[in-house]
Amino acid sequence: MTTASPPEFVKRPTPVRKANRAIDERFGTQPGLRRNLNKVFPDHWSFMIGEIALYSFIVLLLTGIYLTLFFDPSNTEVIYNGSYVPLKGVEMSRAYASTLDISFDTRAGLVFRQIHHWAALIFVASIVVHLFRVFFTGAYRKPREVNWLIGVGLLILAILEGFAGYSLPDDLLSGTGLRIAASIAQSIPIIGTWASFLLFNGEFPGDNFLPRLYVIHILLVPGVLLALIGAHMGILWHQKHTDFPGPGKTEHNVVGHRVFPVFAVKSGGFFMMVFAMLALLGGLAQINPIWMFGPYDPSKVSSASQPDWYIGFLDGSTRLMPPWEFRGLGHTVPAVFWPTAVLPGILFTLLALYPFLEARFTGDTKSYNLLQRPREAPTRTALGAMSISFYLVLWISGGNDVIAKTFSISLNAMTWAGRIGLIIVPPIAYAITKKICLSLQEKDAEVEHHGIETGIIRQLPSGEFVEDHRPKPTPVPDHPQVPNDRFALPSANGHGDGDGKGLARRAGKAVSGFFVEEKETGPGGPSTPVGGGKH
Amino acid sequence: MSDQTGPGTAGSGGGDQPGDSAQERVHYAGYQGEPADKSDQDSMSSIFKRAKHPVDTSGAPAGGSGISAGGPDVPAGTSDGPEALGTPPNQTDSTRDPETTVMRTGAAGVAQPTYGTHAGGGGGVTVRPPRAEDVDRRAERRAERLIACWFLISVVGTVGFVITNFVGDKHQAYYTPCLGSALGLAVGGLGIGMILWAKRLMPHEQAVQDRHEFTSPKEEIAVTEAEITAGFADTGLARFPLLRRTLLGAGTVLGGLVVVPLLNLTNSKPGKKLDHTSWVKGSRLVTEDGRLVKLGDISIGGIETVFPAIPVTESDGTTTYKPKTDVHTKADSTTILIRLPPGIDRPRKGRENWSIDGHVAYSKICSHAGCPVSLYEQQTHHLLCPCHQSVFDVLDGCRAIFGPASRSLPQLAIAADADGFLYARNGDYDEPVGAAFWERS
Repeated sequence: MTTASPPEFVKRPTPVRKANRAIDERFGTQPGLRRNLNKVFPDHWSFMIGEIALYSFIVLLLTGIYLTLFFDPSNTEVIYNGSYVPLKGVEMSRAYASTLDISFDTRAGLVFRQIHHWAALIFVASIVVHLFRVFFTGAYRKPREVNWLIGVGLLILAILEGFAGYSLPDDLLSGTGLRIAASIAQSIPIIGTWASFLLFNGEFPGDNFLPRLYVIHILLVPGVLLALIGAHMGILWHQKHTDFPGPGKTEHNVVGHRVFPVFAVKSGGFFMMVFAMLALLGGLAQINPIWMFGPYDPSKVSSASQPDWYIGFLDGSTRLMPPWEFRGLGHTVPAVFWPTAVLPGILFTLLALYPFLEARFTGDTKSYNLLQRPREAPTRTALGAMSISFYLVLWISGGNDVIAKTFSISLNAMTWAGRIGLIIVPPIAYAITKKICLSLQEKDAEVEHHGIETGIIRQLPSGEFVEDHRPKPTPVPDHPQVPNDRFALPSANGHGDGDGKGLARRAGKAVSGFFVEEKETGPGGPSTPVGGGKH
Repeated sequence: MSDQTGPGTAGSGGGDQPGDSAQERVHYAGYQGEPADKSDQDSMSSIFKRAKHPVDTSGAPAGGSGISAGGPDVPAGTSDGPEALGTPPNQTDSTRDPETTVMRTGAAGVAQPTYGTHAGGGGGVTVRPPRAEDVDRRAERRAERLIACWFLISVVGTVGFVITNFVGDKHQAYYTPCLGSALGLAVGGLGIGMILWAKRLMPHEQAVQDRHEFTSPKEEIAVTEAEITAGFADTGLARFPLLRRTLLGAGTVLGGLVVVPLLNLTNSKPGKKLDHTSWVKGSRLVTEDGRLVKLGDISIGGIETVFPAIPVTESDGTTTYKPKTDVHTKADSTTILIRLPPGIDRPRKGRENWSIDGHVAYSKICSHAGCPVSLYEQQTHHLLCPCHQSVFDVLDGCRAIFGPASRSLPQLAIAADADGFLYARNGDYDEPVGAAFWERS
């Protein structure tokens, strides 16, 4: 119907076709290539948040490579003699000195350093917002729990990577952060002292710790990040993207743009836009001006010292923690252990297990490809709002000294507000969110049954006044919908008139592989070409 | 219509309204109520002169991209265009067309609407008017020029970046902002151009692809499981228990090997290192710039951060003091010296002579997480740690009175020698300084 008959085999190929054929002769690429180029990605603005994370990661890699060429992660003490006059003659580590050199004496050094820092902030931020999107729409439900787990792993690694990165310049702010990190490592019961000594190579500040941190930052964590992002994308590609319900959309199809050309060009353009925004931020918005902090000195600290935003919630939890240190039997469990090791451990474990907990409590083990609106799952949405409010109280408390100073509030009052707020705000957020969801559901049901209010009041012959309602229009697609394969191939296996419900038969084809799967006639009847519609 | 698109059964609005298979093809005349290009509203005829696909008023299919554009039934005798979700009906006088209204008291289903949208989700209906680029060659060219313009802007940005990079003075304030803006323009111009290109010149159609189930058929599972079972049987692991156990054992022992590189991470064993600082008996108190602190150097209410100056006996028998202000010493030996007004200090039992003339010395390393406790409030005699806002009361032996810290700051016993120099009379702190740890009692 909508697909054309197979095109002719071109007898006199152009160089591009020749290359294509040469590759095909060696690897048999044509079916897989065609299937992947014709793969469909659905369109929704919220699906672009994850893309922002991916693209800022690419920007991080690009700018990071540039920075490695100039950065010297050495603890060796030197006397600074660069072009930043206020620090001339000051003793500092090579790491700090080379960061100053990148900022003041390297061509395009500062702009790439700042782009790198902004990209890190945006990377973690977009992961978090992407997590919200996935959570509130139920995109993590079966069969996508594994990708949820990978995503949680990516979030944790991104936070660690960011922390390692901003600790590298060895300035006063980051050194203070490292000192706290050492104290946290030291606070772990039984193994803590050893853990801290092994990590820092001795008692803080350790011996040649920065080269070690550098390897973590530019090799270990990025390597794992890269592998996990690859897995995240691969699984997404294989399982196909979820989509919101809509006209023509079912649990058994994907409606959107083909990878080639529209999706590829749009996504490529979006990558450029993300890069451009980061470039503008890096050029115009100053970030982490380490020359103003000075080199690290364990006897000094600046007041109102704030970590990067994604560490803020841990800072907040540490500030709110009551001074509960357990001493006895010759041992100590420090107060800092609970808010910085136990609390994030619990939070991230709950986050990782959420899909399984939800399936357990709802008893819902079905697979879903269509997303839910937040209101359709009030308990989940309320739990999400509860968690976010909990996080926000911690996060705001991470800057409670700044808030106290700015608004002339007592710092003790801020701390107590945080302690109490941490307990009472989340339940309130839960209750309000659930109520809102249920009310929205009611509203939806009303529109479904009675139609949309028109604002037209009529008087009936009996004298009664009624308002006209018009029925909710049936949603229709914005654009013409066509099969994702442009051309029909002659049927190879005789199938072809199925109704798409022969799950066993379709699944049997599906298992034969990711990219090498044997094609069958699509379930859409004769209108679907052989060789289409599977990936 | 295509069965492949399927009825919109899962649409939030329950979009399945089957039974509209006999639809007319849409033609752009259906959109005449909303001219595609607002600027051309004044002369509809000019649209048709330059139209890519002149409107066939006979109702034949039109439009290159509208492959499956099954159209809505345009109600005869009305000029209503097809309607998008949520837009009000054109006619407001609902009394004239009872079919378009449902009275609240009326039975549901009595009056189904006859807008052009009741084709249902499965119909493959377009409701948006075609883009100007679809019907108008000039609009298409304009779009092309606009996109090309953005691509050229990108080139300008790139050139700007290169020039700023090589010609610009990197010590000038404009350097970094110019580089960032130029790079933003270079990349962003390309990005905007690409997005416009996809939106304005590529076909607006939605491709529909089937998903497949991931569950394998039972036969497939059975065969796979049997294959693995057979392969496992071939290994003989079930038959040869010695083989199995030694393999497991060897693997575990080998796996345990990871401990070795882990422990090799440091040659510095914790031992009692955390219990001690660099303070020794007789160390004088020295400031960061190497000045030995004497009585009277600090005015009442003043503070000074001090480090140990270690006494070294020279070959000729004299004693010199060697300041230790390296980063490792600073990390645990940093001490804050405060001169309190006379008579207000409340020394702890047994520490009555740890201070001299109102001078008290406490570890500056916070007992919570190791930050330097550097904010001194002269009026209240409180020390505040800027990291997590723990507050210590100096008059009460630096007891932790607020915030997450639970232990007092350790006190350093000081005295003054005959020359007035302050020194550590008992040597090191009598407890570990800084953050707590497991072995700390």
